[in-house]
Amino acid sequence: MPQNSKGIDVAAIIPDRCIGCQICAGECPVGAIEMSGGVAHIDPEVCIGCGKCFEVCPVEAVSFEPKRPQETPQRIPGVPEDRFSEYRGVAVFIEVTHGQAAPVSWELAGKARELSRRLGTVAIALIAGHELKDVATEALEYGCDEVHVIDDALLGSYLSRLYGKAVTDLTNTVKPEILLMGATALGRDLASVVATNVETGLTADCTGLDIDEEKRLLLMTRPAFGGNIMATIFCENHRPQMSTVRPGVFRPGERKAGRTGAVHHYPFAPPVGEMPEILEFVRDNTGETGLDIGRFPALVVVGKGACDPESMPMIQELADLIGGVVACSRPVVEAGLMPYERQVGQTGKTVAPKLYFAIGVSGAVQHLVGMQGSRRIVAINSDPHAPIFGISDTGLIGDYRDVVPLVIKGLREAVSKR
Amino acid sequence: MNFVCCIKQVPDTAEVKIDPETNTLMRSGVESISNPYDLVALETALILRDKYGGWVTALSMGPPQAEQVLKEAISLGADAAVLLSDRAFAGADTLATSYTLYKAIRNLDLDRPVDIVLCGKQAIDGDTAQVGPGIATRLGFTQFTSVVEIRELNTYDRHITVKRRVEGGFEIVRGPLPTVITVDLGLARPRRASLPGLILSLRAVIDRWDADAVGAEVPKIGLKGSPTWVRRIFSPPLKEGGPVFDGRKDPVPAVERFLDTIVADEELISELFKNPGV
Ligand SMILES: Cc1cc2nc3c(=O)[nH]c(=O)nc-3n(C[C@H](O)[C@H](O)[C@H](O)COP(=O)(O)OP(=O)(O)OC[C@H]3O[C@@H](n4cnc5c(N)ncnc54)[C@H](O)[C@@H]3O)c2cc1C
Repeated sequence: MPQNSKGIDVAAIIPDRCIGCQICAGECPVGAIEMSGGVAHIDPEVCIGCGKCFEVCPVEAVSFEPKRPQETPQRIPGVPEDRFSEYRGVAVFIEVTHGQAAPVSWELAGKARELSRRLGTVAIALIAGHELKDVATEALEYGCDEVHVIDDALLGSYLSRLYGKAVTDLTNTVKPEILLMGATALGRDLASVVATNVETGLTADCTGLDIDEEKRLLLMTRPAFGGNIMATIFCENHRPQMSTVRPGVFRPGERKAGRTGAVHHYPFAPPVGEMPEILEFVRDNTGETGLDIGRFPALVVVGKGACDPESMPMIQELADLIGGVVACSRPVVEAGLMPYERQVGQTGKTVAPKLYFAIGVSGAVQHLVGMQGSRRIVAINSDPHAPIFGISDTGLIGDYRDVVPLVIKGLREAVSKR
Repeated sequence: MNFVCCIKQVPDTAEVKIDPETNTLMRSGVESISNPYDLVALETALILRDKYGGWVTALSMGPPQAEQVLKEAISLGADAAVLLSDRAFAGADTLATSYTLYKAIRNLDLDRPVDIVLCGKQAIDGDTAQVGPGIATRLGFTQFTSVVEIRELNTYDRHITVKRRVEGGFEIVRGPLPTVITVDLGLARPRRASLPGLILSLRAVIDRWDADAVGAEVPKIGLKGSPTWVRRIFSPPLKEGGPVFDGRKDPVPAVERFLDTIVADEELISELFKNPGV
């Protein structure tokens, strides 16, 4: 254990573990920690050996020997144990456009039901919109125990301030201990507004949710640093614990007709001031739209290595054969050959089909984070060292122009034998 | 028009990996750069300023070295730059970050009313896309996320019309100033610094504000003001690759064996080929 000139046992940073999160620098009571070159440095002469940095470091990058046995994490002084007793239930915001709920909402309804059972509480649906038809009933059928609705003509289309106000009001009224939203364009926009209004923690774009039952904490896992690293995040001292979750990560809740529950309606108190006005909706002009690749049981995914327009009919034939659609990697979108909504990956969609059939996709980490949950991954690539083979269940090395026709032929035969 | 552009210094993320052997972070040669989305935001601000006149202030929160991104902003044409740097800001999550930036923008606003705040849609290290909406909500400004085009800026009736990405397409939307806009990569192509710009940036004095200077309440900033904490960091679980068949020389048998492994998955096949021949 290093000592400084005053004979104090000081803490030191292990540079190759440090992730530069700066948490220690913020906690150090004497300002001994500076950031440099992306990692923390402790000035041994300033350090008083209190061990605060050691306690708060999320990645064990501080070497320090605590004098006393480490205390269990303390509660904030003056805050009673049951300070969150008025919060209850695991809530899901049901995203509705044109009277129809986004598939991710039902995925989260299923998850909310599961989590709520583990916590011994209820699953709750929060709905804001207009002309909501049967969405409330559907929410009950998908596993929510109760539904809270604001239905108002002002909520006909999504505007941040209006929806932000409606969902903030619902949250303040219902007081769920957990609130989940889909990490869609709308969900991410809205979740930030609500979390800021109710001043709570929000973890974006999660790909995993778990519960610490004892502390009633939601453990939210998300990719960080462009997908190279996963981080598990929690929110201990604020409620609700909020998270947006990628579409396609969880299976939709099981829908059971006839499930019932309480449905509460509330009037809308719109915010004051002039709201923006939506002048026009333009469909993505690079292709037919509204297509959600996340809904298909099979995807044929073309990468830069298989994206010449002449081969598209062949690729399409394969997709038709296996009951799926064609999706792609980012360079294919950049080349203008496919619309953005077909892109899989970090900046595209997260998908988890039953069969993921990659052709000419190298398997970059930003692509992989969007498809790792697929049930069966198969890949065709001309490069034996393509990283995609490292995560595929079956691989085929070859020029796709040669092998795809054979694959189609072989599959047809296999099917006709059934 | 008075523009404020928020810029974050980020590690060049594609480089950060976990060493599978030792389970530690490998950051060899990781450089710090300006978040690419934020450079698009800055470019947009510069274009609008050049067209409508006005003033662009670049704003960044970070350690003293983050001054670098502000010098870059000056070299590209920003009129002023402010670095929010204080040990008390460290460890901030998105809630604390948006609060701190909001306080700083309020400060700037007192000096000269702010019309348009521009942020990148997201930062490539965090990818949260939460800070822009957080700032807009706190300021009470009109909020437009994922903007791909500025259609019209009417400085007389003080309205802006933008095209933004939404699920399934785009939306053209018009709203009153002041506004917070978060920009998508396609909105503009960042310029390169000119030589005079570079020289200017070398001499530029970057204002530095601490928690006191922005009038921030201590419980709302940095680690203390951050509800979310990191519990654990790990490599994404990678599954082991299965068999790979080489069809380069002799494709027919390779394809056959490749298909055998797929067709052997009865459950999969029966799900996919519910209607054979479709
Ligand atoms: C911030 C950020 C976000 C990103 N987000 C995404 C994202 O959401 N989605 C995404 O996909 N990417 C994303 N990327 C890009 C990503 O890093 C990769 O560049 C991209 O996924 C590569 O696409 P690809 O595999 O199609 O192309 P390449 O990497 O160029 O691979 C082409 C492959 O095709 C093979 N090939 C070539 N010719 C043939 C042939 N005749 N027959 C068979 N195989 C052939 C080659 O061997 C190669 O493996 C992102 C990058 C960054 C920095």
